[in-house]
Amino acid sequence: MSKNNGLRQGMQIAFRLGTELTVATLIGALMGHGLDRFFGTRPWGLAVGVIVGGAAGCLNVYRAAMLLSMEDDDDNNS
Amino acid sequence: MESPLHHFEVHTIIPIHIGGLDLSINNAVVAMWVGLAIIAGAFMLVVNRGISPIPGKLQSVLELVLEFISDLVFEFIGKEEGKKYVPFITTLFLFILACNLIGLVPGSYTITSQVAVTGAFAVGIFIMTLVIGFSKHGMHFLGILVPPGVPKIMIPLMVPIEIVSMLARPISLAVRLFANMTAGHTVLAVLFGLALTSPGWVSWMPFGFTVVINGLEIAIAFIQAYIFTTLTCVYIGDVIKLH
Repeated sequence: MSKNNGLRQGMQIAFRLGTELTVATLIGALMGHGLDRFFGTRPWGLAVGVIVGGAAGCLNVYRAAMLLSMEDDDDNNS
Repeated sequence: MESPLHHFEVHTIIPIHIGGLDLSINNAVVAMWVGLAIIAGAFMLVVNRGISPIPGKLQSVLELVLEFISDLVFEFIGKEEGKKYVPFITTLFLFILACNLIGLVPGSYTITSQVAVTGAFAVGIFIMTLVIGFSKHGMHFLGILVPPGVPKIMIPLMVPIEIVSMLARPISLAVRLFANMTAGHTVLAVLFGLALTSPGWVSWMPFGFTVVINGLEIAIAFIQAYIFTTLTCVYIGDVIKLH
């Protein structure tokens, strides 16, 4: 359905990767903030949380990109 | 002039309150029923008419959709394991697609623009992957938190990162669908507001844009339903294959 159209394919990739990075960073920050509240270690939990979240976001984007490049290879081979 | 966010408001049509729970029928519920009715009606029409070896128009379209989705499931989950999940994934795709497309009819309601709806889908899928993972691999499932080929020193660092990336999946799934639908419909409403309020000699411009963007929104409705189902397949596949 979306394979035969370059624009659609590109938009799909953009939507997928963009939210992946943002949401993971936000989750990391929120978890860090939550741990801060629980243990009273302001502001260290938030700082570490943002970094861990960013790392998780990069990991998710990397995985999604690997998946997309795999699909591309399949298309080229067939 | 109405607010561009006016059409996202939920209005109660038939109030139902049972023991403190608000189970009222509102416009979102009605739109959801219409979506279900269209899909179920199309399939029932084909089956009632009798499935013929030479498919008619509607039957070929539905067969195409089913084949498309089962290919998707087989690709990401695997041919043997995937068979169980084809009905679920097909229902998910068709329902989201129907909801997205119904939202484009003027005066109707876009159910997927409610984060409660997309969030319920995403959380349900997340819990489902956890249940599948634990029932299939038992406690070995926790090994998904340690990617293969990681040196032992890195494990304390990798586990929190993996936990965050696991938790981010359902939320990004929900936010992506909700944000795309809300943004698209808000843009349409703003442009249409401009077309209505501007003087006649410029109002053709925003009106032309609404027509173009409406076409784009139809494409986005398909793309978002496709992305949602693909990612659901990917997540289920990850849990089954465990790396």
